[in-house]
Amino acid sequence: MALVVRNLWVKRGTVSLPGKTVPFWGFAPSDTALPRLPGPTIEVTVGDMVFVVLWSNELSERVSIVFPGQRSVWVMSGLWGVRKASPQYENGRMVSLTDFLDRSAPGPIAYVFNATRPGVYLYESGTSPERQVQMGLYGVILIRPQGYSTPTDPDYKTAYGAGTGSRFDVEKTLVLADIDTLMHEALASGEAYNILDYSPDYWVMNGRSCPDTVRSDRDPAMPSQPVGSSIAARVGQRLLLRIINAGFQNHTLHFGGLVGRVVAGDGYPLATRAVDASYEKTAITLGSGQSFDVMVTPAGPGEFYLRDRDYNHLVNRDSFPGGMMTRLDVAP
Amino acid sequence: MATVNLWAKDGYLSTPDGNSVYFWGFSAEPGGPAQLPGPHIVAREGEAITVNLVNTLESEPVSISSSGQTNVTAGGRPVGPQYGPGGELVSFVDHAEPGGGTVSYSFTPTHPGTFLYESGTYPHKQVPMGLYGALIVRPSDYDPAIPAYKTAYGFGTDTEFDREYVLITGEIDPGLHQAVEQGWPYRISKFKPRYWTLNGRCAPDTMFHDDVPYLPCQPYGAMVMGVPGERILMRYIGAGIENHPLHPHGQHARVVAQDGRLLRNGGTDCSFKRFTVLVGAGQTYDLMYQWSGLGYTLRSPIPTTLPNRRNMGIGEAGWTMWSGSPYLGVKGDIPVGVVSFNEFGEYYFMLHSHEEPQITNWGEFPGGMMTMIGIYPSLNPRVGTLGMG
Repeated sequence: MALVVRNLWVKRGTVSLPGKTVPFWGFAPSDTALPRLPGPTIEVTVGDMVFVVLWSNELSERVSIVFPGQRSVWVMSGLWGVRKASPQYENGRMVSLTDFLDRSAPGPIAYVFNATRPGVYLYESGTSPERQVQMGLYGVILIRPQGYSTPTDPDYKTAYGAGTGSRFDVEKTLVLADIDTLMHEALASGEAYNILDYSPDYWVMNGRSCPDTVRSDRDPAMPSQPVGSSIAARVGQRLLLRIINAGFQNHTLHFGGLVGRVVAGDGYPLATRAVDASYEKTAITLGSGQSFDVMVTPAGPGEFYLRDRDYNHLVNRDSFPGGMMTRLDVAP
Repeated sequence: MATVNLWAKDGYLSTPDGNSVYFWGFSAEPGGPAQLPGPHIVAREGEAITVNLVNTLESEPVSISSSGQTNVTAGGRPVGPQYGPGGELVSFVDHAEPGGGTVSYSFTPTHPGTFLYESGTYPHKQVPMGLYGALIVRPSDYDPAIPAYKTAYGFGTDTEFDREYVLITGEIDPGLHQAVEQGWPYRISKFKPRYWTLNGRCAPDTMFHDDVPYLPCQPYGAMVMGVPGERILMRYIGAGIENHPLHPHGQHARVVAQDGRLLRNGGTDCSFKRFTVLVGAGQTYDLMYQWSGLGYTLRSPIPTTLPNRRNMGIGEAGWTMWSGSPYLGVKGDIPVGVVSFNEFGEYYFMLHSHEEPQITNWGEFPGGMMTMIGIYPSLNPRVGTLGMG
């Protein structure tokens, strides 16, 4: 149990997609760092009191953060002290799902919550989310069970604690999303954009489209997309895929021909002391904002392409291969 | 060892509104037509099977992959991704080259169940074009002569069935199909389906028998038939690239398996009842449908209020599938001028996509992803065996 502080800055930046450089809005991990797509992963432990501090907002509009799946989020800011995070209204109209940071507001705003349950969650913009989430203002929160780092603890290297079938050897988080580059260009240059025209033309995992997904972490050509999605495991290892959909479309993540066991949905483990309700799948459909934890144990070596089974999302500008796809390499 | 031979070919689909749509499909005969969906492959748990593919398409390689089948080999080696000269991914598994190339896959199914087989090559094009089909794996102890062993997932799994039906969902964008036919650029970003299919057919063709001569490329009907109390196994397969909420009327159904895996952990039954199942792209669902509606027994016909006859209509105005009588097996009077397609006093219930724009043919209701469940007073036991509609 600790007090954990994570600092974020909202900035404008650009992401590199195959064949196109696209403006985006993202969370940066420091005053001097570039914004990232997805935002920096916030990794904490059950029992932690988590302070997510939004220091500044480079946009010409308000920004906030909501934490779907977290109970009781509180807000601290210079003027108002501590209060429960709540929707914001102006002249009777809601202007934000939660307390926001104005461009001109004095000082930072901090969101505070107790990490009560392990799991994989999103944090994302709660202000004009139909624009800001699409523009890139989302990231992942990983909450570990308490014994996660202690080799002698039964919860060691588990996603949800002992008895939940979530002990893993290799873990990979895959954040799915869809990008309408025309919308990005319009909003970045301050032009009007009708959300009813939303029509994505790129599909990403961890902010990159295939084949960039299989390039390494911190690839210098993609400074704002530091997270690769290639996965390496050995035969018989327990590979935990933590799949979460930050996009506006539903996506069906296909496990490359392998069979996985779904061990949790939206941060709730399916196996408890009372009943084991986990189940096996070859692919799973995720609605917007949903997450699933899937355990895959490869029985043989090979190359497997984890991909969106919505095959129209495996293209970059209509050309296969591309889009929401990455490779799992299983060594003997 | 079982052997299945498939040929990848092109052909033309027929839609109820009179359209003819170019497509690619698998055929079971070198001289036979391409078909949508491809031939049902029926394998057996624990028995090796070989699938030989001949690719007669001239333009590009074709492959077959089936999610959930592991340890598939081609030429003695595990199948793996195939790359083009620039290192770009072409196929998820070994493929057959165009113009008559061949590939031979061998595997031994480790689990019974319902699976999809589909092309693993340029799947954004080849799967919407029609290169898909059903793979049914019988449990190792399957014996249709003994009720306790006529199961989807083996003795003692509570999956005994009296009749079984495969229902494969798909979508057709005729503009993209025409682009492939004419060699125009294939722009999947313009994907806008106009037809939604069950077993490759749009309603009302879904209700025709298997192998009707006027649908040579669409041999599988999608009509579900049974008698009261029977356990009807419906194997849903999502072969398209969209999700479809399938909804049977008459009775709720129990989902007993997904993706070819029984919903059971040890002694815990994890099956669940739903009246709508979202058939996700590339996924399968086994449902047990058992009609016992309204307390019906042979001795106790249903005391029901006569439905509004306008609501019993189907197709053209003046057509109905209503028997004219609320009693199963009893026919009654039909108003003059109304044509009844009800022959034995059977009950009909719709089974359809609950995304209602999909129960049209190019916008015209009724059509698309819709069929009927027929509950008969009695029925030939051969109805509802695979390959017979």
